[in-house]
Amino acid sequence: MGALLVLIFVAVICLCAPLYANDWAHVNAFSSNINGRFFIDGHWRSLLQANTQGLGLGVSPVGPTWHLNNYFLGADSQGRDVFARLLYGGRDSLLIGTTSALICVLLATISGLAAGYFGGVIDWLVSRLLDITWAFPVYLLAISLSVILVTSGFSVGPVHIQAGSLLLPIIIIALIYVPYVARPLRGIVMTLKEREFIQAAIGSGASDWRILRKEILPNVAPSIIVFFPLMVAFNMLTESALSFLGVGVQPPNASWGTIINDGLDLLYSRPWVAMAPGLMIVITAGALNLLGDGFRDAFDPKAKLRGSI
Amino acid sequence: MLSFTLRRALSALLVLFAISIAVFLIFFATPGVDPAARIAGRSASPATLAHVRAAFGLNRPIFIRYLLMMDHLFIKRDLTSYVNVGLKVVPQVLKAAPITLALVSGAAAIWLTMGIFGGIVAAANRGKFIDPLVMFIGIAAVSVPAYWLGEVVNLITQSRLHSSVFSWVPSGGYVSLTQNPFEWALHLLFPWLTLAALYAGIYARVLRAELVNAMNEDYVRTARAKGLSERRILIRHALRCSLISIVSLFGLDFGALIGGAALLTEVVFGLPGVGMLTYTALQNLDLPVIMACVLYGSFFVVLANAVVDVLYAFLDPRVRVA
Amino acid sequence: MLQFKSMRKPGVLTSAIALTLTGLTGFSASPAGASSYQKAHAGGTLTLLASTAGGTLDPQVNYTLEYWQLYQATYDGLVTFQKVNGQASFTVVPDLATSLPKITNGGKTYTFTLRKGIKFSNGQTVTVNDVKATFIRLFKVSNPNSGSWYNAIAGGDACVATPASCTLSGLVVNAATNTVTFNLAKVDPEFIDQLAVPFGAILPAGTPAKDQGSTPVPGTGAYTFQSYNPATSLVMVRNPYFKVWNAKAQPQGYPNKIVENFGMTVESEVTAVENGQADWVFDPLPADRLGEISTKYPSQLSLHQLTANWYLPMNTNIAPFNNLKARQALNYAINKNNVVSLYGGTKLANPTCTILPKGFPGHTNFCGYTKGGGSNYKGPDMAKAKALVAASGTKGAVVKLVATNDAVNASVAQYVVSVLNQLGYKASVVLQSANIQFSYIQNTNNKVQISLTQWFQDYPAASDFINVLLGCSTFHPGSDNSINISGFCNTGIEAKIKAAEKLGITNPAGANVLWGQLDKTLMANYAPWVPLINPKLTDFVSKRVGNYKFSLEFYMYVDQLWVK
Repeated sequence: MGALLVLIFVAVICLCAPLYANDWAHVNAFSSNINGRFFIDGHWRSLLQANTQGLGLGVSPVGPTWHLNNYFLGADSQGRDVFARLLYGGRDSLLIGTTSALICVLLATISGLAAGYFGGVIDWLVSRLLDITWAFPVYLLAISLSVILVTSGFSVGPVHIQAGSLLLPIIIIALIYVPYVARPLRGIVMTLKEREFIQAAIGSGASDWRILRKEILPNVAPSIIVFFPLMVAFNMLTESALSFLGVGVQPPNASWGTIINDGLDLLYSRPWVAMAPGLMIVITAGALNLLGDGFRDAFDPKAKLRGSI
Repeated sequence: MLSFTLRRALSALLVLFAISIAVFLIFFATPGVDPAARIAGRSASPATLAHVRAAFGLNRPIFIRYLLMMDHLFIKRDLTSYVNVGLKVVPQVLKAAPITLALVSGAAAIWLTMGIFGGIVAAANRGKFIDPLVMFIGIAAVSVPAYWLGEVVNLITQSRLHSSVFSWVPSGGYVSLTQNPFEWALHLLFPWLTLAALYAGIYARVLRAELVNAMNEDYVRTARAKGLSERRILIRHALRCSLISIVSLFGLDFGALIGGAALLTEVVFGLPGVGMLTYTALQNLDLPVIMACVLYGSFFVVLANAVVDVLYAFLDPRVRVA
Repeated sequence: MLQFKSMRKPGVLTSAIALTLTGLTGFSASPAGASSYQKAHAGGTLTLLASTAGGTLDPQVNYTLEYWQLYQATYDGLVTFQKVNGQASFTVVPDLATSLPKITNGGKTYTFTLRKGIKFSNGQTVTVNDVKATFIRLFKVSNPNSGSWYNAIAGGDACVATPASCTLSGLVVNAATNTVTFNLAKVDPEFIDQLAVPFGAILPAGTPAKDQGSTPVPGTGAYTFQSYNPATSLVMVRNPYFKVWNAKAQPQGYPNKIVENFGMTVESEVTAVENGQADWVFDPLPADRLGEISTKYPSQLSLHQLTANWYLPMNTNIAPFNNLKARQALNYAINKNNVVSLYGGTKLANPTCTILPKGFPGHTNFCGYTKGGGSNYKGPDMAKAKALVAASGTKGAVVKLVATNDAVNASVAQYVVSVLNQLGYKASVVLQSANIQFSYIQNTNNKVQISLTQWFQDYPAASDFINVLLGCSTFHPGSDNSINISGFCNTGIEAKIKAAEKLGITNPAGANVLWGQLDKTLMANYAPWVPLINPKLTDFVSKRVGNYKFSLEFYMYVDQLWVK
């Protein structure tokens, strides 16, 4: 329950990002503010401060002020409020995590059910496709796809996704983890199919669609529910890794991963820029994993902690 | 059993073949990636460009190019990089592999020890304070982004506390075991710990779950009826059965990590293993190296999968028909 | 353009002017030369660090600063850029030739006499046949500029078309008189510069006519490459056959051995030099370490103004920047001081309004687009910019800026996008790997509207900026190699470029005046770019290093450093 509360809290504060940025802190989280200034302790100070010691090389953004409405976590190298970006970034991270998990689980259910139930050629085809995706080293697949898609966008027939669209990381991440969920589902369906009640339904001449919908799906649903929060956590971590490698969310959009990436260029001088989004990921993913544990206890106590064995 | 193994091997080959084609097509579908333009140099005239293209066989039809690359990679084993012309790719991968192996096996030893110990402690102390604590640490560990943890470790050991507690930590990179065993271990220590931290948690949780299940099995009840101590039952009986799932989990993880999944850890700590090689090749869009690395990595993933499958089929004959 | 380094993010470099040895208090400023060679400092091993190798080691193929810097100590051409400190390093002096060439036939015939008794590092004596073979090999190995520079030699175009049967009839050598004669097909005022860069290095006639990759090729310099593995290291040792013949062309070096190691991250490289475990970092210093280095190690750091440009080429053929007012508006709107700030501050870069970098031949100081007017940059004029956008009718257009994804480029790009949005465009940024981006923005098929890029000189001549980047001859629609990124081709300007080139043969000073006027006309009437900054180079060396010297053409003289 605590996990759920934490999640709701994170989601709510992230959803309030525009409220915070516009009405409280009065900052624009996406526009550069290089010669910007801010008011603190009775003085106006520059957001980006040139080094004055030694040879005077380098420019550093202002560090955390710990004033909640005034550059709480300081500014990044563009002079943007890190805390506001953290909230906006959370929106994208959560959005990518949940939608890609939804797509992933949906595709996995379809392919797992089809392969497990129909068997034969369909099973062979689906299983080989899953094998290929599975054996392709995850990050390599994601990076290879991203390098191209982020560069040139994606265009097949009427479908056109712009380079830099959030849909790209969502789809890429969803696709690479399909086998992770589909393979155990396929196994569950195969065992289910041998059970009497399914055999009886087949014998009674019910259509495949009806059997899948009425008999099989309700029986795999608990496993799917258990997988879902785990996949959200997993996908958020993957998204952050992709953004770290520069092939995830594209600017000016921000996700926790991209903020970490921005922050790594300031790691030695302003470590909080990278630390804060990392902590947010740990908290959110941790809560999701706890939630997954809770779901397992509630719905499917025998489910494996990790898929695909 | 033999036919199952054969079938498994065939489908593994098929998967590798499909992956090699996918990498090839993905590469040549990218705009601005024309290797000839980069090899020829930035102000080359169109004629010069055409010669370079011909010299590297880049003007041939795409399937011929694919066959040529496979021929150089597997049969002649003299495939060379597009970026560092003359640099043979296969020896580079072979040179990087032991570094990845050193990283992954060291980390594996740590996470297995920690994971098994944690799992047992948690299972043995069910309902007490220590059980949820171990599980909580486990959850936190799987929720950390690998590269971020690495960077935080670097920040602490290289910068924040480098002048006091961690002055003995070397500044990244790799020293070979034969050159200096002590420096080797020193350079790998933090990468080991970082990588192990990510896996120890999940192993502890899996083992605990298996142990708890096993403690309710008949054979455990029998042992209990014989009056054996709980601790003895846990270690001697329950653990033995529960370790099977740990072993298969380990097979898959180890295969994936050897195959390049340790990329982020290698990049963050500057270890020139297969992951790093792949990462640089991707940054340079050096197709021959990418191809070699991806196939090398996929090979281990496929191999680990196949071994685990065959092992399972061996243990459980019902799987063979599936 | 000379690449800073093969296949990595564009760095910070090219040639420098106005040498400012800011903190290097202990360093001698005397010119390198035999007379001042100090034997006491000879010996030891110099360790250099670079995050990645620079690609092939073949001097006729490699086009990166990373190795051109090292080639200074290992190879010689007939002529070379003088190996001295400061402005004089732009001067061409005879190297393997006894003197500068006799130029006859209205600038079309160059005659050199080869020095006698010089040996390659493999013991062979350098002969006129080696010279002939070297220039034929240039075409056979598809030298990057074989079709854009060296085809000026008569017979060169045929060699570009069919390298296999290349005889290069325009290059005539005479073993009896030891002379080498180049007959050019057309007059080329930059030919002498093109002979002085490493592509013109004389190699043994027997060198295979194929890119030698990681196999070292013998040369005539003070050092020779002993071994090269792009994954680990490059080792240079003294050339046993080397004797000083002209200390200004090829001086004796100090370290016995020079090792360049690859594979460390830049952060670790900096730490290693701080701790004295290595002597020099090739890569640009990471932004968040600059403060630390400049505070703790000021005496080990040196700064040099470079003659390079960071600029935004705008595509003059597609909307919205096919509209002059839109291009002028952006010139007014960008705050170049902000770009300086993102680059590392006022000590590391200067704002610029001109195509030719400050201090470059032909450069005239002017600034057409600045708050308050005048010839120096003062700041942006948003009011004027917004008025121009309104007048142009391009307001609301969708604009995509293509930039590379390294930290500095990405942040400058994001700033420019903010400005475009303020001007009323719907702007966004596309970040790409540096290896893709530079080809991508050149190819007209990709319909790039505006991009962020850098240009580094090859040699000090105004045409290397204006003719190469804005002339009709370098605009190839549909090709990845179309370095005129703006796609700017104007007959009036083209005629003026030709006129300036022609005058350059007889009257270089007069030609430079023309180039300066051309620069001004281009910016005022066409504004195909937004010039942003001229960057500076920072060199960070270890505490033990002495005798730091800097060439405007090839940067720090690696072989002149003392480690003893």
